[in-house]
Amino acid sequence: MAEELSLHQGKKKQSELIAIVGLLTVVIGILTLIFLGDTNDTMATVGIVILVVGIIVFIVGLIKFNLTVKKFKKTFLKDYFSKIIEEGSYFPKRYVSPQAVYGSGFLKRADRFKGKDYLSGKIDGIEFESSDIHLQERQVYTDSKGHRKTKYVTYFKGRIFKFDFHKPIEHRLQVLEKYRPRDGYKYKKVELESIDFNKKFKTYATDAHTAFYVLTPHFMEALMKIEQNHPGKLGFSFMEEKMYFAINNNKSTFPIYPFVKIDERLVDTFKEDVEMLYELVDDLKLNKRIFKED
Amino acid sequence: MPNEVLIIIVVVVAILLLIAIWFIATMNSLRQNEVKVNEAESGIDVALTKRFDTLSKMVDTVKGYTKHEAKTFENVVKWRKGMPDDLTLEQKQEFMQKLNQVQADINVAVERYPDLKAEKVFTNLQKTIADVEEHLQASRRLFNANVSRLNQKIVSFPTSIVAAKIGMGKKPFFEAELEKRADVKMEF
Repeated sequence: MAEELSLHQGKKKQSELIAIVGLLTVVIGILTLIFLGDTNDTMATVGIVILVVGIIVFIVGLIKFNLTVKKFKKTFLKDYFSKIIEEGSYFPKRYVSPQAVYGSGFLKRADRFKGKDYLSGKIDGIEFESSDIHLQERQVYTDSKGHRKTKYVTYFKGRIFKFDFHKPIEHRLQVLEKYRPRDGYKYKKVELESIDFNKKFKTYATDAHTAFYVLTPHFMEALMKIEQNHPGKLGFSFMEEKMYFAINNNKSTFPIYPFVKIDERLVDTFKEDVEMLYELVDDLKLNKRIFKED
Repeated sequence: MPNEVLIIIVVVVAILLLIAIWFIATMNSLRQNEVKVNEAESGIDVALTKRFDTLSKMVDTVKGYTKHEAKTFENVVKWRKGMPDDLTLEQKQEFMQKLNQVQADINVAVERYPDLKAEKVFTNLQKTIADVEEHLQASRRLFNANVSRLNQKIVSFPTSIVAAKIGMGKKPFFEAELEKRADVKMEF
């Protein structure tokens, strides 16, 4: 693994160097234009040429960087996740379908839908799929000169998870932190026994009994623990043998930044994200199939 | 002078009217909460009945293995008619306690006769009883949550005045573990 990682790191470092050289060339070109090009036409031309060459080299560096990251994700990460997750599939460019995202019942329809880093598989026999999601809504406004303009405002940037949920429920339940149900069903707000839980989450259910059936004291405690460990706006929903979990934290799950080494430490941070899935399944006891007929 | 009297009368009538509206609204709110408590109690009834039915089936299965120990389960045989109607909340708690005992006896039988675990019917019933238990707990918690909400209203001033006027008192909770109460006799 270390050898493969250093190969990717070598290519990434090379692309970063090219970008730096390009950037430095741009700076030299600008300085030449400012200090020498003012009085000397030849030097002005040289300055422009250096500037253009610098920009081209910088762009080449950026493209090379993106290609390196893409290749790292498509080869190394894909292979890595398939090894550490049962039936694990990873596709850096794909994402959870909009149908599944809106199926959560609390995310409103976006005017612009983007996603990446699709990961699916089985955790302790429980099927899951997840991906980063970026949802934006279109806003039309009039500027100070009276021109109508359009802008896209982000209202969700984070990750969504969809798990198998084997507790048979006929009704719908949503446990939300600053969201509200948006799937058109007739929900009622349910107050549970835990004051802390009610402060942290708002519970909506189409039937109060379902809320108490799913949200056992242990389950509530587990949701509180998840909330403490994951800063951001959280939402959980339970319906049709599925559990949805969305976390709006303005973060990417598997980011590769410039000048951050591709090494085992970086891979470990990705592994932590997968371990979080195991923790989630275990804490919520999603792997306990006692409610399902064999 | 007559104008001033008229104003006073209008103010007094308006105040009385406001009090009457508040009284009716508070009374309705209390009644609605009471209905919710009753609905939750019927949820407990459903769960208890289902638990009784499932336990009866389990007892039938277990009895085949434990003929010489039939005495252990003779209580259940007495309850062939199911959960009696019109039980008070306290009696329902007592009934649940008895079902707990039956379940404990079944667990002991399972330990003694490991072959039972291999019985498909029995393992399915075990799964069913686990789910029924979860439903019973949910019903009990929902009931207690509704009772707690109603009781809080009943003891809070000025709602307590309306509650006293309509004769509504604090409701008892449905306890998970019942203390032995000598005054309650269950006959099935």
